[in-house]
Amino acid sequence: MSKFRGAAAIAGIGQTPYYKRGTSPDPELKLALRAITAAADDAGIDVRDIDGFVSYASERSDPAKLMPALGTRNLRFASLAWFHGGALPATLNLATGAILSGQAEIVAVYRSMAENNSQRLRVVVAQNDTSSQYLVNGLESPAQILALRAQRLMEHDGVPRSALWAAVEASYHHARNNPRAYGRMTEMDETVYENARLVSEPYRLFDCSRENDGAACVLVVSAERAKDLKQKPAYILSAPMGTMEGGGALEENWRPYYGTAGHRELAQRMWAESGYGPKDVDVAQVYMNMTSMGIGSMIDHGFFTAEEAGDFCTFENFVAPTGKLPINTSGGDLAEGFIHGMGLIPEAVRQIRGTSVNQVPGAKLSLVTGGPGDIVSSTGLLGSEETL
Amino acid sequence: MTYSFLQHKISGAIEADDEYWRWLEEGEFRLPRCASCDHWTWPAHFRCGQCGSWEFAWTPVTLEGAIFSWTRSWYAFDRVMERKEDVPYVSLVVELPQAGGARVMGVLTGDDSRAAIGAKVRGTILPPSPKTKHYPSVTWAIVS
Repeated sequence: MSKFRGAAAIAGIGQTPYYKRGTSPDPELKLALRAITAAADDAGIDVRDIDGFVSYASERSDPAKLMPALGTRNLRFASLAWFHGGALPATLNLATGAILSGQAEIVAVYRSMAENNSQRLRVVVAQNDTSSQYLVNGLESPAQILALRAQRLMEHDGVPRSALWAAVEASYHHARNNPRAYGRMTEMDETVYENARLVSEPYRLFDCSRENDGAACVLVVSAERAKDLKQKPAYILSAPMGTMEGGGALEENWRPYYGTAGHRELAQRMWAESGYGPKDVDVAQVYMNMTSMGIGSMIDHGFFTAEEAGDFCTFENFVAPTGKLPINTSGGDLAEGFIHGMGLIPEAVRQIRGTSVNQVPGAKLSLVTGGPGDIVSSTGLLGSEETL
Repeated sequence: MTYSFLQHKISGAIEADDEYWRWLEEGEFRLPRCASCDHWTWPAHFRCGQCGSWEFAWTPVTLEGAIFSWTRSWYAFDRVMERKEDVPYVSLVVELPQAGGARVMGVLTGDDSRAAIGAKVRGTILPPSPKTKHYPSVTWAIVS
């Protein structure tokens, strides 16, 4: 049995509102402080006792800047998970490792972004690491690069456009019940979706994640400590990071999983470590930088094949509480808001607690996937106490 | 020879492909092949991950391939604003069977309504221009 499985749990969640990109009333660092203190309040933990800090990609609210305002007594562990949104669940891996090895007791996993501070799209997301091979050929945005993958997934592997629409429809449907969702008032039906402006074929506007200012945080503690805190623990069953040979920084030379998400081998490791499989998952927060990439991630996770995508990916299957695989129950990256995917982990936790605005009754296994198509990625499975 | 691309160097990523751009600016399309095990190492890197060699033979490759994937950009994105007047334009990933299946990126010229995965394309080398950020480039046209 893996030592990792169930060793740690998420005990607190905290989020700022989602603001339109570039309009946050607070600077990035203050947003991070708000999210971290809210997570501590939620857990019933003295914020001064947080001794570990984990973020990902090019987070700029580093613990050195946070600790004077948090009153941090003892900063014992600080780390970033590499790359972009792919690193989202990998943060839970780092936090669990730190706790399991005795390096820290209470780890804040967080992400904060405000466009005016960070020039997010250029620096924080792109990290200025787009190679000349792309830029010389008119390609710079993740939307364009992931459109190349989407075209392959659809035209070559046969995933129909209806699968993408189903993800959009379910996301916006869920967002309507969520007072935090930035897209809750957005009119959305198939005509709106299909007539929205083209961004980079095959993507239209609503195939793209939102871009918001905001911050979110979850607190990771040992399983023992979690039992004595205020909230029902969401245990971290598995959160593997990585990629297989044929992935990495290969400038569209990925083999053999070009059109999907690079999650197949990660998912296999997660199922093996957790002892569960795709059929056991009650609810999934699927990272959707772009619709088709989320579909590709679900294919890699074994929920359905490319051939089955048309039949499986329907509003009925994706919608809570009745769907076969309810996804993005807060509205997700498409309709709730997007701070590099960090809103997905708190929602995965709420499903275990039973407090989502689109609750799947009795949800015990709650999946959260990392940025699909990232050069290295991660995925994570949370579970209630019964799943241990 | 003073190379245009070196005077407008784009930083970021692996940056082992100077030799690619140098040959291209001289009018030749060459890709790196491991000098020891012949593995096509693309994108270019500093060490062959297959055999451990640090030496590469920059090998001439014919400008013929097939579209592996493509996208038509309908927006003038921030860092490729030079192409604003070309919007919408089609960018390609072209697969080169004669180079171990290496895939290169490029822009499609001519009738782009026939852009399709698997379509045969032929490339033409263009000298550096503002549109290509003062780098040389390859444009591709569908072979009828």
